[in-house]
Amino acid sequence: MSKPELWVIAERRLDHIEPTTQQLITKAKHLAGDAFHTVVILFEANNDHLEDELTAYGPDEIRIVRDDRFPTATDAEHADALEQLVHKYQPNSILFGATITGRSIAPRLQAKLQTGLTADCLDLRFDDETLVATKPSYGDNIMCEIICPDHRPQMATVRPNTFVAETTPGEATVTTETIIFHPVARLQVKAATPVVNTATTVGDATRVVALGRGAAGAATIDTATKLAEKLGGRIGVSRPLTDQERFTHDDQIGQSGNTIHPELILNFGISGAVQYLVGMQGSQTIVAVNADKDAPIFDVADYGYVGDASAFMSALLDQFV
Amino acid sequence: MKIVVCIKQVPETNDVTIDPVTHNLDRRGLAGVMNPFDKNAIELALHLKDTASEDVQVALLTMGPDDYAESLREGMAMGADAGYLLSDRAFAGADTLATGYVIAQALKKIGDADLILFGRQAVDADTGQVGPIVAEFLHQPQITYAASLRLSGKNEVTAERLLEDTKQTLVAQLPAVVSVRSELNTPRYPTPRNIQLSFDKPLTVWHHDDLDLDDSRLGQAGSPTIVTKVYAPKPVKRELTPLTGTPSEAASQLITALKSRQLI
Ligand SMILES: Cc1cc2nc3c(=O)[nH]c(=O)nc-3n(C[C@H](O)[C@H](O)[C@H](O)COP(=O)(O)OP(=O)(O)OC[C@H]3O[C@@H](n4cnc5c(N)ncnc54)[C@H](O)[C@@H]3O)c2cc1C
Ligand SMILES: Nc1ncnc2c1ncn2[C@@H]1O[C@H](COP(=O)(O)O)[C@@H](O)[C@H]1O
Repeated sequence: MSKPELWVIAERRLDHIEPTTQQLITKAKHLAGDAFHTVVILFEANNDHLEDELTAYGPDEIRIVRDDRFPTATDAEHADALEQLVHKYQPNSILFGATITGRSIAPRLQAKLQTGLTADCLDLRFDDETLVATKPSYGDNIMCEIICPDHRPQMATVRPNTFVAETTPGEATVTTETIIFHPVARLQVKAATPVVNTATTVGDATRVVALGRGAAGAATIDTATKLAEKLGGRIGVSRPLTDQERFTHDDQIGQSGNTIHPELILNFGISGAVQYLVGMQGSQTIVAVNADKDAPIFDVADYGYVGDASAFMSALLDQFV
Repeated sequence: MKIVVCIKQVPETNDVTIDPVTHNLDRRGLAGVMNPFDKNAIELALHLKDTASEDVQVALLTMGPDDYAESLREGMAMGADAGYLLSDRAFAGADTLATGYVIAQALKKIGDADLILFGRQAVDADTGQVGPIVAEFLHQPQITYAASLRLSGKNEVTAERLLEDTKQTLVAQLPAVVSVRSELNTPRYPTPRNIQLSFDKPLTVWHHDDLDLDDSRLGQAGSPTIVTKVYAPKPVKRELTPLTGTPSEAASQLITALKSRQLI
C-alpha cells in the first residue's frame, strides 16, 4: 500500500516563494519519517520555475499545476484547484502557512471539504495517522491540542517562523498535474504591488539587540544601534517601545509582533512577559541584562547580568574592537 | 443596500487560567464584551451608511448564548438598525465549520444582503476562519483582511488587501463577503441618543426550528475538530550562567562566552 500523503501548500509572494513554505517542508519531513509521502503543491504560471526554490529542502515530491492565471488567482480559485487535487489524491493532511494568504484559502477549502482546520499552530505531531496540532488561544495565554479524528484531510495553518528551514541533500521528484481552472467572474485582482520594505526586518536578522522599557532612553538606544551594527544585527523591541517614534510595530518581538529565531539575542531591560517570550524563546543563544534579579527573562536566558542595562551595553561596546 | 455584520461576544480579558483540578478553562467571573475587531466591521458598515447616496440598512448577526444580545445592543447603540441572535442549545460546542454553517443558513433566511462583513478574527480563538467558511457556503466572492473598502460603482466595491509584502487591489461585484483589518478605521462610540434609540430597534431571536438546518452539521456533532488538551504554556527553562562583577567584567565574560560559541 502506498504511504499516506502529507501536503505542504507552497505560497508565492510576487516572484518568490514565501519562506514559511520552506519552513513547513522541513517540519513535514521531520513529521513524516518513513510513514508519510511529503508532497509540496505548487501553483504557478507556465513560465515560472518556483520549484527551484523548493528542491533543496528535500520534499519527496513537488507537484506542480501550471496556469497563467495562478499568480493573480483569488482565494476561491485557489481553493477550487486544491479541492480537485484533494479529490484525486486523498491526502492525509494539508499544511498551510498562517500568512494572510494561507489563512484566507485554507478555511475556504475547509468548507468545501467539510473537514477540520486548526489555525495558527505552534507545533504539530502525529499520533499514528492523527495530526495533533498545538494552537494558542486567548492571546497565547492558553495552549490547546486539537485533533480531527474522523475527517480527512486534516488541515492546519502554521504560524510563520515557528520552524527553521533546513536544506538537505536528496532528490525531490518534480511532477505536473492538471486541474480545470474555474474562474470566479465576480472578483478581480486589479493590481499587486510590492510594499517597499527598505530595512531587513527583525524576523530576518541572525543577531538581535532587543530593548525594553528598562533600556528606552535616547542615549541607550544610540549605544544599542552601534552594538547592533558591530554584531551585524538589528534592533528589536518589546511592546512599550513601539510607542516611541523611532520604532514601529514591525520592530516588535512577541505574540502580537514578530516571532524570531536568531542565533543570538541580547535582551536589555525587558521583564520577560509571556507575550514577549513566545516570540523569542526559540532563539539559539539568549542573553539578558536586567536590574531585577527576579525578572522572568532570566528563566529563558543562557547568560544573565543583574545590573544596569545602559552601563553593561556601553562596557560591551567598548570591548568590541 | 443591505449590509449584515457578523459579530461575536468574547471574554472581557484574555487573562484566563486553567483550573488545576479539572484542567478546564476557568472563565468564572469573566464578563462578555463584543469582539473588538468586530467593531471595525460595524464601523465600516456605518461609514458606508453615512456616506452612500442610497439608503443603507445595517443588521448585526451573532450566534451564541442569550447574553450575546448585549453585544447586539451595543452595536445598535453605535448605529446599526437591527440585530439577529441565533441561540439554541443545539448550536453549542460548535467549531468554526459548524458555526459557519448556522450563520450561512441564517444569512439565507435574512436574504439578499449585498455585503456581509466580518472582523479579522475573534480574540479568544484567534482563527479568522468563519468569514471564508460562510463565503464558501454562500458561494460568494471573499475579500479577507481588507485594509480599505469603498463603493466603486453600482453593486461594486473596491478594496485593498495588505499581504505580508504585497498590496493587492481587488474589485468585487456584490454580493460579497469581506473581513476587515483593524487598521481600517477607528470604531465610533455609542452616543447617549443612539443608546436611547437602540432600545426601540428590532432584535430578532432565532432558535433551531426557525432555520432550515441539517442536524448532523450542528454543534459538537457537526464539528470535525476536538480539543483534547488545554494547558498553560511554560517557557523552556535554560541553564543560566550568571555574568558577575562590574559591567566591564561581566561584558568581558560575555565576550569570551560568545567567542566560544562562535557567535562573534
Ligand atoms: C494580548 C497581549 C499581547 C501582547 N503582545 C506583546 C508582544 O507581542 N510583545 C511584547 O513585548 N509585549 C506584548 N505584550 C505586553 C507584555 O505583556 C508586556 O507588558 C511587555 O512585554 C513588557 O515590556 P517590557 O519588558 O519592555 O517592560 P516592563 O515589563 O516594564 O519591564 C521593564 C524591565 O526593565 C527592567 N529595568 C528597568 N530599569 C532598568 C535598567 N536601568 N537596567 C536594566 N533593567 C532595567 C525592569 O526590572 C523590568 O524587568 C502583550 C500584552 C497583551 C495583553
Ligand atoms: N458565533 C459567532 N457569531 C457571529 N459571528 C461570528 C461568530 N464567531 C465568529 N464570528 C465572526 O467571524 C469572525 C472571525 O471569527 P473566528 O473565525 O472565530 O476568529 C469574527 O470577527 C466575527 O465577525
